[in-house]
Amino acid sequence: MNNTKLNKLILSIGLLMVSVLVACSSDEESGGSSSGDANTVEVWHSMTDTSGEAIEQVIEEFEQQNPDIKIEATYVANQGEGQNEKLLTAIAGGNPPDVAYFDRFEVAAWAAQGSLEPLTELAEQDGITEDNYYGFAWEEASFEDDLYAIPTTTDSRLLFYNKDHFEEVGLDPENPPTTLDELEAAAEKLTIKEGNRFERIGFIPWYGQGWFYGWGWSFGGDFYDPESGEVTADHPQNVEALEWMTEFGQEYGVEDIAGFTDSQGSGAMDPFVSGQLSMKIDGNFGVASLEKFAPDLNYGVTPIPTPTGDNFTTWSGGWSVVIPKGANNQDGAWEFLKFFGSEEGQRIFSETSRDFSVIESVNESLGYTEDPVFAEFINILPESNARPVMTEGSLYWNALADAVEASTRGNGTPQENLEKVTQQVTEALGE
Amino acid sequence: MKNKMNQANHFSATAGIQSEMKRKSKIAGSSLNGWLFALPWVIGLILFYAFPLFSSIYFSFTTYSILSPGEFIGLANYKQLMNDGLFWQSIYNTIYFAVFFVPLSIIIGVALAMMLNMKVKGMAVYRTIFFLPTLVPHVALAVLWMWLLNPGFGLVNGVLDAIGITGPNWLGSVTWSKPSLILMSLWAIGQPVIIYLAGLGDIPQELYEAADVDGASWLQKTFKVTLPLLTPVIFFNLVMGAIGAFQQFTLPYTMTQGQGTPDNSLTFYVMYLYDNAFKYFKMGYASAMAWILFIVIMLLTAVIFLSSRRWVHYQGR
Repeated sequence: MNNTKLNKLILSIGLLMVSVLVACSSDEESGGSSSGDANTVEVWHSMTDTSGEAIEQVIEEFEQQNPDIKIEATYVANQGEGQNEKLLTAIAGGNPPDVAYFDRFEVAAWAAQGSLEPLTELAEQDGITEDNYYGFAWEEASFEDDLYAIPTTTDSRLLFYNKDHFEEVGLDPENPPTTLDELEAAAEKLTIKEGNRFERIGFIPWYGQGWFYGWGWSFGGDFYDPESGEVTADHPQNVEALEWMTEFGQEYGVEDIAGFTDSQGSGAMDPFVSGQLSMKIDGNFGVASLEKFAPDLNYGVTPIPTPTGDNFTTWSGGWSVVIPKGANNQDGAWEFLKFFGSEEGQRIFSETSRDFSVIESVNESLGYTEDPVFAEFINILPESNARPVMTEGSLYWNALADAVEASTRGNGTPQENLEKVTQQVTEALGE
Repeated sequence: MKNKMNQANHFSATAGIQSEMKRKSKIAGSSLNGWLFALPWVIGLILFYAFPLFSSIYFSFTTYSILSPGEFIGLANYKQLMNDGLFWQSIYNTIYFAVFFVPLSIIIGVALAMMLNMKVKGMAVYRTIFFLPTLVPHVALAVLWMWLLNPGFGLVNGVLDAIGITGPNWLGSVTWSKPSLILMSLWAIGQPVIIYLAGLGDIPQELYEAADVDGASWLQKTFKVTLPLLTPVIFFNLVMGAIGAFQQFTLPYTMTQGQGTPDNSLTFYVMYLYDNAFKYFKMGYASAMAWILFIVIMLLTAVIFLSSRRWVHYQGR
């Protein structure tokens, strides 16, 4: 008899606990956040340092203008830099943040999975159109006629070169290389090698932002035809580009170069900062770190050399803000997106973070066009390319990186490796 | 438990029918209480282990992407895997690692345990020293060894330089990246060593005394007494080590930021599985990979178990 009493007690405690748990979870689902009836917008971002300050300022100004909306910002390490597992599981679990800071080049893939809220209607209502932004930024934010993201930043890539090193070896610091032959000649002069160790190295094609997309376009190649949906990693000019990179690697010894780059770091340990690397490809975001860690460094920037010395080009990426599928407070989220993407929000963010705005007039008003270094980055934007808007963007990126690694290390010819990329990405797209 | 229940049953058979019923209800009641107490764990196991485990069998036949349920595509995932170059590369890398790491970890582990079993003053200190690396988290271990093996200023090449050898570019070379990883993994070998030490402590002293009386040398004692009686422990570590080696993930993933560089020489099976699941939206494909890995590990473990009859000697049998 005692036992049944005990059973009942345990059962009732158990039921009580279950009901409490259920109450908690339903509360979370309906309430959205702990602060009850306040209109709270949850934002996940991956920004630290100067851009971290910039986003805080944007939020502050937004909250001042919209006193009824409260922003709850959470830092999520590496979100958007190929590590979106947390966001992915949050969306799959039906409990995502209201706004996520997101790498634009992944928008298409996520939109295709139905994991982002379409913004087309909201944008139409509020008169936000393509005309507000750089064309490529808008394209990357859209997928199959629908808008899924509000673009926030952009960038471009150029050749950085150390003017003091140029003078030291008798090169004209005001006349940086424009053709590949000149680039190779300069690199050879600048390199100091002892045994298999580099004291200083002139140039490493794939270092920093020297991704294959940039080289392919600089050689006149192309990667994707949006009309036919054809993947063209093995475009003849792409193959030439990779062949050139491979030869460059062989000349200097790929493993010796790897030994050199493995010994380097970022920030103050960047070999360009420490004077161990004379030329590198980097984005405008690299300028901020040079200003911080090497304010006296005498350097210049110039378009990435091409085989012919003209038709300079570059490529641009950048970030955006999205509303994940199933977000609770979509109205509040849209208000924030709208503000972040507006001229005002862009000016606040760009001024502190030193990231380029996606709105041309903002970049002009912030004086980027007058700064001798930043102007070069801005001036090349009209010639800039954007990575293919496709559902397999991440796979394409990784496959190209693999092809460069394999080719430079003599594992298959550039032709073979790029054909493999075409095949792999085409197959993945066909699924 | 079982004994008690048998006893109770036996008891009730001799007693009257009424008391038998009373006792039965008491037994049923107590096992119910047991289940009630275990319920949170039982529910947890079913919900968070058994259910995902078995549903992944189904998912491996679909294009499930975490975000969308996908379609049923039969064996297409498995067929595609057979034609996936990187899949085979990752299998090669994983087997390479397992084939070298597991035997080396046993040889070095046993040798180390035997050294740490000597009767020398301050042995507790030495044992602690060799166990300490096990306490270093994998991510810290990766960073530490990236510094040690750095070709420019690393300690390892510095020492090699001092004795006139030009060290290779360890982690930057396709040839040396996997050996480097094996070296790192061997450094954190403390856990099996502790188990070997326990095994050594289990060997009866009389056997050594008898061997001494027979005039056995140190070598003979090692190979005729110590090692045979250590085989149950070696067997255990072999199985666990093989399973662990096939699941190698944290070290190479942290070291290469998930890229498996250089030239995919550090792309291990589980790393590629992870990329498919969480980067390329191919959870179905990844589930298929997981089940292939499961079958491989099961087969391997079965082979080790079957062979164990020939070489594992249990005391008192």
